[in-house]
Amino acid sequence: MKCKAIHKKLIFFLENDLPENEMEEIKLHLAGCHECADFAEYMRKTLKVLNQERKPDVNPFFYTRVKARLENQTIKEIATPLWARILQPAVFTLLLLAGVYAGIKIGQPANNIQETYYAEQEIFPYLYEMAAEPIETFLME
Amino acid sequence: MSEAGIIEKLREGNEKAFSDLVNTYQKMVVNTCYGILHNIEDAEDVAQDVFIEVFRSASGFRGDSKISTWIYRIAVNRSLNFLRNHKRRRGFQSFDDIVETPKTVTGEADTESGGDPQSDMENSQRSVLIHAAIDALPKNQRIAFTLNKYEDLSYKEISEIMELSLSSVESLIHRAKKNLQKKLYNCYKKKCI
Repeated sequence: MKCKAIHKKLIFFLENDLPENEMEEIKLHLAGCHECADFAEYMRKTLKVLNQERKPDVNPFFYTRVKARLENQTIKEIATPLWARILQPAVFTLLLLAGVYAGIKIGQPANNIQETYYAEQEIFPYLYEMAAEPIETFLME
Repeated sequence: MSEAGIIEKLREGNEKAFSDLVNTYQKMVVNTCYGILHNIEDAEDVAQDVFIEVFRSASGFRGDSKISTWIYRIAVNRSLNFLRNHKRRRGFQSFDDIVETPKTVTGEADTESGGDPQSDMENSQRSVLIHAAIDALPKNQRIAFTLNKYEDLSYKEISEIMELSLSSVESLIHRAKKNLQKKLYNCYKKKCI
């Protein structure tokens, strides 16, 4: 077996997860190949870390903490009545929608400048005499 | 007491039944969360939430599976949610970061072990490395591998927890191991420890 093939099966070899003949073959190879043996040792040490850190110690105060957290949550729920818990998000949603609608409405005139009617347009003809009495008419008189 | 009996008592809000349930499954839940989170404080924090959810949703438990399977599912989902919500906040060190910066695996020596400090430091570095390699696996491979490694669960039990076929779980764990081996080989070549 070549080194590359050994590398591919090493993790299964270390976990005794290979058929008997392949296990023997890899054992033989590792005995004669320094580089593969070195990598196998590196893998073995790294995987061993996982076995060492399994089953952390039981915290003796665990249940007390669970109970305290459960009670805290229950108190909070009682302090906030059901209607408030339903109504609050509903009111906030309505306010948000109203805000969006108002924003759209405020922004709308800016899109239709042509339709905007200014007071000066109405007054202008009266103030601008040249428009009311062209220069030709004035000279003829 | 039968499992149905325990659930019935939980539905009634029986404190003794809840206490017994926590004592029975505490180690299993903390260990599962720890396998995914790699931090004991976070694991205990999430485990507390798991038991609160179990207590609150006991009325919704139909009894299709074993209690342990149901609790495992909650523990895995809660841990993954915790990771998703806290990934940015924590100093997350990806596997690629570790491999690209050789000899800079930041682990603290386990001073309580009383062993050789050099060996403690090396183990600590290996721990950071293997955790980063596991975290870099695709989600389902990571869950299947963690349940198998940390909880010694059989493929059948994992298939029930993950609601997948037995062959899918076999394939997930096989691919997880191959991926881990590839990642560790990259690290070995670059001498990151």
